Amino acid sequence: MMEIELSKKEHKPLQINPIKHSQPMGAALAFMGVKDCLPLMHASQGCASYTKVFYTRHFNEPIAIYNTSVSDITAVLDGGDYSILMAIENITKKNKTLKPALIGLHTTGLTETKGDDVRSVGMHIEIPYCYVNTPDYEGGMESGWALTAKSLIEQLCEPTTEIKQEKIILLPHVSMQPIEVEKIKELCEAFGFETYALPDISTSLDGYLDEGQGKLANGGITVEDIQGLADAATVVSIGSSMKMAAKALVEKNENINHIHFDHLMGLDASDNFVANLMKIRQIQPVPSVKRWRGRLQDAMLDCHFLTGSSHFVVTGEPDMVVGICALLRSVGGTIDAVVSTVYAPILETIEAKKVFVGDLEDAVSYFEKTDLVVSNFHAERLLHTYHDKGLVIRGFPNYEELGNQLKNDQHYEGSCHFLFEIANTLREVKHHV
Amino acid sequence: MVSRAKIKDLMNESACSHNKDKQAKGGGCDKVKPGLAAGGCAFDGAQISLFPYADAVHLVHGPQTCLGASWETRETKTSYTGRDHTQMGFTTGITTNDVIFGGDKRLSDSIDYVMAEYKPEAIFVYSTCVTAMVGDDIDMTCKLGSDKHHTPIIPVHAPGFVGGKNLGSRLAGEAVLEHLIGTKEPEFTTPYDINLIGDYNVTGDMWQYLPILEKIGVRVLSSLSGDGRVGDVRTAHRAKLNVIVCAKSLVTLCRKMNEQYDIPWISVSFYGKRDTTFAIKEIVKALGDSALIEKADKILAEEEVKLEENLKYYKEIFAGKKAVLNTGGNKAWSIASGLQDLGIEVVATSIRKSTEDDIAKAKEYLGENGILMKTPASQQAKVIDEKGADILLAGGRSLYTAIKKRISFIDVNQEKKTSYGGYDGLLNLAQDLKYAFDNPVFANVAKPAPWEVS
Repeated sequence: MMEIELSKKEHKPLQINPIKHSQPMGAALAFMGVKDCLPLMHASQGCASYTKVFYTRHFNEPIAIYNTSVSDITAVLDGGDYSILMAIENITKKNKTLKPALIGLHTTGLTETKGDDVRSVGMHIEIPYCYVNTPDYEGGMESGWALTAKSLIEQLCEPTTEIKQEKIILLPHVSMQPIEVEKIKELCEAFGFETYALPDISTSLDGYLDEGQGKLANGGITVEDIQGLADAATVVSIGSSMKMAAKALVEKNENINHIHFDHLMGLDASDNFVANLMKIRQIQPVPSVKRWRGRLQDAMLDCHFLTGSSHFVVTGEPDMVVGICALLRSVGGTIDAVVSTVYAPILETIEAKKVFVGDLEDAVSYFEKTDLVVSNFHAERLLHTYHDKGLVIRGFPNYEELGNQLKNDQHYEGSCHFLFEIANTLREVKHHV
Repeated sequence: MVSRAKIKDLMNESACSHNKDKQAKGGGCDKVKPGLAAGGCAFDGAQISLFPYADAVHLVHGPQTCLGASWETRETKTSYTGRDHTQMGFTTGITTNDVIFGGDKRLSDSIDYVMAEYKPEAIFVYSTCVTAMVGDDIDMTCKLGSDKHHTPIIPVHAPGFVGGKNLGSRLAGEAVLEHLIGTKEPEFTTPYDINLIGDYNVTGDMWQYLPILEKIGVRVLSSLSGDGRVGDVRTAHRAKLNVIVCAKSLVTLCRKMNEQYDIPWISVSFYGKRDTTFAIKEIVKALGDSALIEKADKILAEEEVKLEENLKYYKEIFAGKKAVLNTGGNKAWSIASGLQDLGIEVVATSIRKSTEDDIAKAKEYLGENGILMKTPASQQAKVIDEKGADILLAGGRSLYTAIKKRISFIDVNQEKKTSYGGYDGLLNLAQDLKYAFDNPVFANVAKPAPWEVS
């Protein structure tokens, strides 16, 4: 086994069984968290089609994604305006009832290579417009999502110097599922905050049965609310990728207080979060929060025999693996390897024997000596050859399992559920061989 | 390299019924329109057509999206006993540097890596929008790789922006014709050798009808590409007949093989009882051996009796049931035919994306009173009411219609886990229909909430 270092440099020329997803996919998901947004991918038609299928299967929901269908001719002759304007015209002409509140445009490898200038499109249309540059040969899904949040703030949010003391803005990282965003929002609301999340997929991709779905983003934060974000007293970034979006908001109003959390998993992070909210509001948490903390303490003790004697391999987006590893370490788990989709400085803080950027081909070489793998759906088939390895599926995509949008791993409550799922999976593979 | 002339040529396939429809309006396949096309791209089509070759590695030379969201998404079954590459993903995942300085070095290194670590029978190298646009010399890199490793390394030039899925399939066919077919001789031949073209063995569809062909004595020399082997397709030029299954995109390949190797071709479907019987009869008829035809008739009669016996139970349950079908292309009539074989009346079907041929067939299957829906999204609810339909078979977006109308629903576009092909597949369909009819879930979720009751 070759030694793999955590560095920005790749250790092989290709990816085999990749876990990395592209920036455009993260951007598309972020736009789905803005109410009545029309996510428009500036790309050839396949990019959007793949992305649509990917999220449809993960969330089991109709997904709204459109594309500009760049052809070989427009790839050469068009500077971007034509395809984008034609796409908007065709879409709105075809569905007269479609009233997008926002055109969320993002680029791809193709349209960045040809060097389109997508900024000016907004001048030619009456619908509000937000653009973001997301070439897929740079960054990954996590940065695509974060860049989109930043662009939404930069381009839509109105600057102010006023402050509403009880208003709080949450900026969740890409791997947080709809219910997780909702739970954190509810926690803030229980402290008496007027709470917003950007992007907010908790009301758009949460598996809610409704008519006429899938033409625009069903739920999410409204454009109006985005425009008015800058009068919040507090902005909270969750995940290191989201720091830049928080900074963009502070630039709109320097009186905003920015609080950052690398993740919200496990006792320490949850305590830290609650302590901060208590400090701002100068009140005690509601009884249920205290109750859940006690349950997490108990869950940690209940699980520690199994987790403390077990070895783990964790793969995924940086902000997600940072949280998972912190929680597993807090109950004595030994983390043999962390395989990340892309490089991020935050990865350096993980307590593991090995942390590196790679793919599932790399991860497999650590499977032999591990007890449990936390990875996406693609690890399932690779683990079929072993009979004594557990798998807990986290991250994108999870094509086969149902109810992905309702899996909560965050804060006191979610951490309990996550730990029990880990421990019960370990029980199956370790004691039933 | 892919050239404009080649694309133009492929878009105007004389043997394609799509083309026949459009000829009057200026000819050729549909071109992509900004904002309207929701379907896959040429690369998608090419990958679908070739991916089932389990003994080859499929290396995607492009940025992350092209492969990242598409690998391990199709249940293309294989009987290959070696490492199954169809459920793996290989991509060069190019970065900014490759866009600026060219990605040939990365591609060449990747080929070396794959040959050293995986030793496949062949490598298909797919170009994509970005690598086509920056002008990577994929042909040369593949040729050098082939020479170095003494293994076919085949460039597939179907970057997404040249067109839709259908065109991509054609381009994949071109690559196979140019680089593989005719490069090897089969160990032996029989007078009853056929190539199966366009069946990708999704959920094992092919395995539903192959045993019957085998029993009759028809040998599948090669497949493009369901449960296929690259080594076999190299010998495809020695087949006596090309059988194209439920696919229009690969007619170009069949026409060209007819011109180059004098192999005739027929187009068939294995969906439902009537179509399966018809397909097999067409195959033996085309092979033109009277003893074979006789044997086939006998075996098919036996199979049909066996099937009818198994269907009896279902036909009783389904008696009087009415279905509305809302799905595209040839499914508009092929699924209808299957439903009718089960004794279900198909009262309406969608012809929104169908060709003239498909529409004619739909008309034929549904009869005088059948409704052909041009705008199914707005029509289907009304049709369900008027005809008193019991079940809606459609894509996921129509689920709400079914719930509102309180009738059963089957998502025909969902990734299915069981095969509906051939005789046995019809039994699978019958079973799934029975489950759908029996399931109270649609009526249960349609119940009003306490706060909606006045």
